[in-house]
Amino acid sequence: MAYLQMHGITKLYQTSGVLANNAVDLSIEENEVHAVIGENGAGKSTLMKLLYGLEHPDAGETFFRGERVEIKDPFAANRLGIGMVHQHFKLVPDFTVAENVVLGTEPRKRGIFIDRQSAIGHVAKVIEDHGFSIDPKRKVKELTVGQMQQVEIIKMLYKNAELLILDEPTSVLTEQEIERLFETLRNLLSRGKTIILITHKLEEVMDMSDRVTVMRGGKVVAVKRTVDVDKRELSRLMVGKDILLQVDRPAKEPGETILEMQGVTICCRGQQRPLLDGVDLKVRAGEIVGIAGVGGNGLAEIEDVIGGLRHPGSGKMFLNGEDVTRYGAEQLREAGLAYVPADRLNRGASLQSSVRENCIVTKHHDFLKAGVLLQRGIREFTRQLIDHFSISAGEGMRAGNLSGGNIQKMILARELSAESNFILFSEPTWGLDIASSQFVYEQMMDLRKRDAAVLLISSNLDEILGLADTILVMYRGRVVGRLANTEDVTKDIIGEYMLGIRDDSQGVAVASPSGVRGE
Amino acid sequence: MSNTSFPIPMLHSTIRIMAPFLLAAIGGLFTELAGMLNIALEGLMLIGAFFSVVLAAATGSLFLGVVLGILASIVAAYVFGFISLNLRANIFITGLATNLFAEGLTVVLAFQIFGNKGVIRFANLSKLPDLSIPSLQRIPVIGDIFIGHNVLIYISWLMVILAAIVIYKTPFGLRIRGTGSNPGAIEAIGLSPRRYGMYAILISGFTCGLAGAVLSLQMGAFVPGITSGRGWIALVAIYLGNKNPLGIFIACLVFGFAESFSNYAQGIMDVPADFILAFPYIITVVAMIAYSIVQHYRLKGSEG
Repeated sequence: MAYLQMHGITKLYQTSGVLANNAVDLSIEENEVHAVIGENGAGKSTLMKLLYGLEHPDAGETFFRGERVEIKDPFAANRLGIGMVHQHFKLVPDFTVAENVVLGTEPRKRGIFIDRQSAIGHVAKVIEDHGFSIDPKRKVKELTVGQMQQVEIIKMLYKNAELLILDEPTSVLTEQEIERLFETLRNLLSRGKTIILITHKLEEVMDMSDRVTVMRGGKVVAVKRTVDVDKRELSRLMVGKDILLQVDRPAKEPGETILEMQGVTICCRGQQRPLLDGVDLKVRAGEIVGIAGVGGNGLAEIEDVIGGLRHPGSGKMFLNGEDVTRYGAEQLREAGLAYVPADRLNRGASLQSSVRENCIVTKHHDFLKAGVLLQRGIREFTRQLIDHFSISAGEGMRAGNLSGGNIQKMILARELSAESNFILFSEPTWGLDIASSQFVYEQMMDLRKRDAAVLLISSNLDEILGLADTILVMYRGRVVGRLANTEDVTKDIIGEYMLGIRDDSQGVAVASPSGVRGE
Repeated sequence: MSNTSFPIPMLHSTIRIMAPFLLAAIGGLFTELAGMLNIALEGLMLIGAFFSVVLAAATGSLFLGVVLGILASIVAAYVFGFISLNLRANIFITGLATNLFAEGLTVVLAFQIFGNKGVIRFANLSKLPDLSIPSLQRIPVIGDIFIGHNVLIYISWLMVILAAIVIYKTPFGLRIRGTGSNPGAIEAIGLSPRRYGMYAILISGFTCGLAGAVLSLQMGAFVPGITSGRGWIALVAIYLGNKNPLGIFIACLVFGFAESFSNYAQGIMDVPADFILAFPYIITVVAMIAYSIVQHYRLKGSEG
């Protein structure tokens, strides 16, 4: 039997109803690096939380070193020799390195006191043995992100972990820090440790792993030896081959440019890589432009810039020919922006307020008379929207009592009622059922027919391929692909751009799929 | 009024007056470090004050009175903690509820038992025993300030030292501080932040019970609302004292002095009595403003 064997693991999150793991099997050999890959929400992190005792499975068994084990909490995992480095570090910033490492298993003197000397000594020994260079007496808040991660690794080693789980360890690291981490991992491997590497970055899988398990939608879709696969195949396995959604998209010649971004760049303090790196984009009248990308590659930043919630460090943005680069949200709306945000529960609606209030919040000035809101007009207006968009809600209901689909319909109703010629949709169907999604798609196609310019930011490739006339793909803050959405464009191609396998940004500005170069 | 005799008794009474502030603030320090704003200090203190003096009179034992008063306060703290942590109610609201409950409960019980909503005197109650510490007496000039206090005053000092040891020298203290700073870190190693939060609340129940006992037993009586905002001032002392035991000791010394001064000044200075009675509260406001100004510049300094 394998070193670690998880069998038929199933986990249903009761509150959200999400089946995060569906009869998952995972088999890890001793002293290998085993990558577990999948898109956001594929169930990788849940599986690891189950293995580390932070969550408990609804069904399934785990065998470790040939014995059936129940891992009820992280202490139990530690006792078995399983350690985990979380994606978001679990450190106390005000504590020293040594204090963070020993927290929970503090060495004691006279039974009740922390033995600081011995704690520092033990931690210093682990640090020295594994070739790290961190002062155990320094406070964690003074360390770099890379060093903080080393502290997390030291924490595991201090507890004598033999099987190390690293959850997206490179997501916050710079290139040099990633190199340093991999060096550490190779070193640990040579000492007989076994490593599970959770990631959605394919280079890392190819560089580091011996075998790879691919997850999609809570299930394991493939287990491969790394030498037997290439990035292209892995990306295909990760993205899957679902049926494209069918929307009638008649050919249409786009009109003049409505929204334009020129070289928009956002740098974040303390990070080497810019969040947005010279983004150029144009949305023309009667055109839907789709932006695809994996989370963390700049989609959210583009949304923030267009929504007026974040100003670019350099570059310009024009809306209807007006320079709107430094405009705030209100000014942008006056300039003609309509915006359906991804975070509809916080940014898109006020759940404490009534449907009525939510519907007029962007245009309440129209209902003012002598500084008083005219309730009759507001009611009338809201009822019209409710009818027209068939929202199942009363105009006086609290928005928080509406279903997710109806909240989104309410936001759509409000944004479309502004009759702007530019509309930004970010993740418009995320978490919606098929009927509600279909409704959103129809509204977008209707906007296109009426010559509005539509920008669709979405991580759902079916949506992008079904709706967009032009597709932009973001990777690490850059537009790496610009494709006219023709028959030749497939999910696989977009998937390869999304994962950085293809990159046109260094050469041609607009490329048709046939002209696309490979790796 | 001679120059020497005026400050010494005033400072002597400062020491006596600061004890309840100190005890409540030390308990509140634990909840503060565990990441909770504990506004229930006032109510917990009131419960301790009521039950300790009533039960001391009933049992005829000061010691039993103190123990049972503390116990009552801990029980109230447990209920407060259970509702806040296990049932996840907003801790500010539950703290407020605890204070209102304590105020109502003590008056209702006083009326039920003694048929009196006002001051209840316990004539048969013996005085809290004074502790004589000869080595303190030998300190020249200021030695007089520290001698001749009752045993609970010295216990309050011991509590400060004990708290400092627990907070900085034991695994328990490390975990309490970790809970407040990053509960996720405590959870990730398999410990329960909620449990450590509860421990901190129970500790605050213990010290507030003792603080209440000091108040009512010194007086030998129970007065409705005897705490008169001391729990709130203790909360201020935690922040002024920069969330460490020594700082809190100094902050409480300032508040104790302010109250002591207002007691003495009433008889001497030609200032309206209302103003003098308000003096401790004015000091609180001034101290709070000074503190936030210092904090502001400190933050600015660390950014620049």
